Amino acid sequence: MKILIVDDFSTMRRIIKNLLRDLGFTNTDEADDGNTALPMLKSGKYDFLVTDWNMPNMSGIDLLKEVRADENLKTLPVLMVTAEAKRDQIVAAAQAGVNGYVVKPFTAAVLKEKIEKIFERIQ
Amino acid sequence: MSFDADEEILQDFLVEAGEILEKLSEQLVDLEQNPDDSNLLNAIFRGFHTVKGGAGFLQLEALVNCCHSAENVFDTLRNHKRRVDAELMDVVLETLDYVNVIFDQVRNKEALTFAPPELIRALDGFALPASQAPAVSSDATVSPAVEETAGTGEHGDITDDEFEDLLNALDDGGNSAQLSSTTSQEASASDSNEITDDEFEALLDNLHGKGKFSGPVGAPADGNKKSEAARPETPEGSAPANGGDDLITDDEFENLLDQLHGKGKNPTQDKSPTQDAGGAAAKPAEKTESKVATTPSPQSGKTPESDNPAAAAPAMPARDSTAAAETTVRVDTKRLDDIMNMVGELVLVRNRLQRLGSESEDEHMQKAVSNLDVVTTDLQAAVMQTRMQPIKKVFGRFPRVVRDLARTLKKEINLEMHGEDTGLDKNLVEALSDPLVHLVRNSVDHGIEAPNVRERAGKPRVGLVTLSAEQEGDHILLVIEDDGAGMDPEILRRKAVEKGIYDKEAADRLTKTECYNLIFAAGFSTKEQISDVSGRGVGMDVVKTKIGQLNGMINVESELGKGSRIVIKVPLTLAIMPTLMIKLGEQSFALPLVNVVEIFHLDLSKKNIVDGRECIVVRDKVFPLFHIKQWLVKGAAGAPPPTDGHVVIVAMGTKRVGFVVDQLVGQEEVVIKPLGRALQGTPGMAGATITGDGRIALILDVPSLLQRYG
Repeated sequence: MKILIVDDFSTMRRIIKNLLRDLGFTNTDEADDGNTALPMLKSGKYDFLVTDWNMPNMSGIDLLKEVRADENLKTLPVLMVTAEAKRDQIVAAAQAGVNGYVVKPFTAAVLKEKIEKIFERIQ
Repeated sequence: MSFDADEEILQDFLVEAGEILEKLSEQLVDLEQNPDDSNLLNAIFRGFHTVKGGAGFLQLEALVNCCHSAENVFDTLRNHKRRVDAELMDVVLETLDYVNVIFDQVRNKEALTFAPPELIRALDGFALPASQAPAVSSDATVSPAVEETAGTGEHGDITDDEFEDLLNALDDGGNSAQLSSTTSQEASASDSNEITDDEFEALLDNLHGKGKFSGPVGAPADGNKKSEAARPETPEGSAPANGGDDLITDDEFENLLDQLHGKGKNPTQDKSPTQDAGGAAAKPAEKTESKVATTPSPQSGKTPESDNPAAAAPAMPARDSTAAAETTVRVDTKRLDDIMNMVGELVLVRNRLQRLGSESEDEHMQKAVSNLDVVTTDLQAAVMQTRMQPIKKVFGRFPRVVRDLARTLKKEINLEMHGEDTGLDKNLVEALSDPLVHLVRNSVDHGIEAPNVRERAGKPRVGLVTLSAEQEGDHILLVIEDDGAGMDPEILRRKAVEKGIYDKEAADRLTKTECYNLIFAAGFSTKEQISDVSGRGVGMDVVKTKIGQLNGMINVESELGKGSRIVIKVPLTLAIMPTLMIKLGEQSFALPLVNVVEIFHLDLSKKNIVDGRECIVVRDKVFPLFHIKQWLVKGAAGAPPPTDGHVVIVAMGTKRVGFVVDQLVGQEEVVIKPLGRALQGTPGMAGATITGDGRIALILDVPSLLQRYG
């Protein structure tokens, strides 16, 4: 499974990348915000998108909206990484078509659970 | 938390978060000038947010604690629920200081100390909207669509179950109208704004279910919100007919819902990734279940990829695009230092070859050598360029320094900075940082007068400190200027006598400039009252020593009532130094070119004796004359002085003296090699180098040489 990790903080990308690697997902790419991520998503045949919420230029929620608006990407499962489980934020994300969310900091186990839940639903 | 904070990630975090913190300090000072700049507010918010996020993973609770509260403050600010004021800035800046303290503790692997609870409380106070209304007031502005899901639990967090329910409701076709009514009820019941996993699941269910509904969509006021939400949600349920534009009318939305309704659940879901994903997720999951925190076996890591060649193949284009995006590489400065050293060696070899080439008759040899010369020079410049950092790195601290000081001293001061992009060697940037801070503090503390004093003197209330940097040949000029009170040479003279630095007569003979430079003498402080800011009288001579160590010069000009101006001149790099090679007897010495003012041949019988000292007069100026051969060459001490010789005029600050030397060899760029341990600290010696003819030359340190012998 090919996963794109989007976060403006490269340390965070590495952390998520390592966690995903611990779960056995080794085919990951990174992007530093929505603007870089979108062209990669469009050309890269990704199977899963993990994106931070709060980023400069194009935020996670805007990226999500762009993804959902794209004919080829609209079914792409998206996991949103957020700092808080703020109700209004999560609701907005869900309405924008997010498949799951995970609150920082999280462990590999939590991440795994979130990913499993997403794919359960899709299937 | 089972995430094991591996060292590499921690180091990455330290570098990256360190940059963010540096930027934050600049941004915060900017903010005080432009308190309503929402881009700035957002950037600061994001800065604290990002540091907090990273710190959370690394279990740096103390850091999380501080950043979290600061982030909340800026969340309030960027939502215009409060305006920036001076008290808020004080607290926020203090917080940043604590964050930096904790950050250093992390770096030094010390135990972390939490910021004082009062500070966090103060921050939390500022995080409330200005009206002092409880934070709940923000809920009032939440759109109905949001309230929808806010419900389910009395507690704020959404649980996994709730989230599942939400998703199910979406799949089952929950009525959006009904939804909004039920949830707004629930929302009123809920008093917190955090969502639990269960709530989120329920929310997703609700949203997905909407796809089946062709009924009216909530209140008209919700129209926009709903349509926005509906468009992206379509893929979850089915393929949408419309996905291009952002705006959608109610009618379009109705049609869309109908279409979705018809297509049912999930028909277009791309099979391969899903299955693969499922499989991949499941497989390694089993393996890692019991040991999530540990690194997986390579096998479990490989499974998904090898299972899925289809996904691996299209990876190529994406990789290309990342390659295009990544144009910078982080390199350990140690490596740059190594490269610089090697280039230094190369320069020595070049010098040697040049010497040999000029002696050789072979034209081809000479051509090759001159070619080598060009390439080496370019290489040296290019390597130096990689080590260049904008002086901004040091300057960036000053707005904060000046602001804080001005506030404690109740002065009004503007800081202007020019030439922040001037680049100089990384080591120099770091080495200059402390002396510059000291000088700027001095300007603010001693230079600029209190506002009422300024007004009485007919000056504007607000003082001005100007900081500028510019490159001048292979040197950098740094100027710190203030429009403050300036210095009175008479007071300085009197002080010098009081402190026993000069006797009365000598002090009276000092020129104005020499008087100003008295401030760099050890133990010299003119302020009667020592403030906690500066004025301990230890600072300025340390500054001077430090600048001297960097082969730099420092000079003060001042005008009483108008202000002072301190000029620092430092070389662009420390590793390679242009020198004047001289010979004393058979021995070579290198004089740093920065000290050399002029050279001339002199009939030494024309020297004068003043005050028991040898002097020469050049263009009506008197310079003390020193026979350095007697100091530096063994057995030369007793020899009668030569009757004619070469004189090198060297300068240190305002002081100029003449050195008598036997031979002038010429200008040469040398690589400074430190002296062996036994010889380190020898007065007058800065180091050694290998000359073009393959011999060793000592590099003279003029100030310490004169101090020891002069």
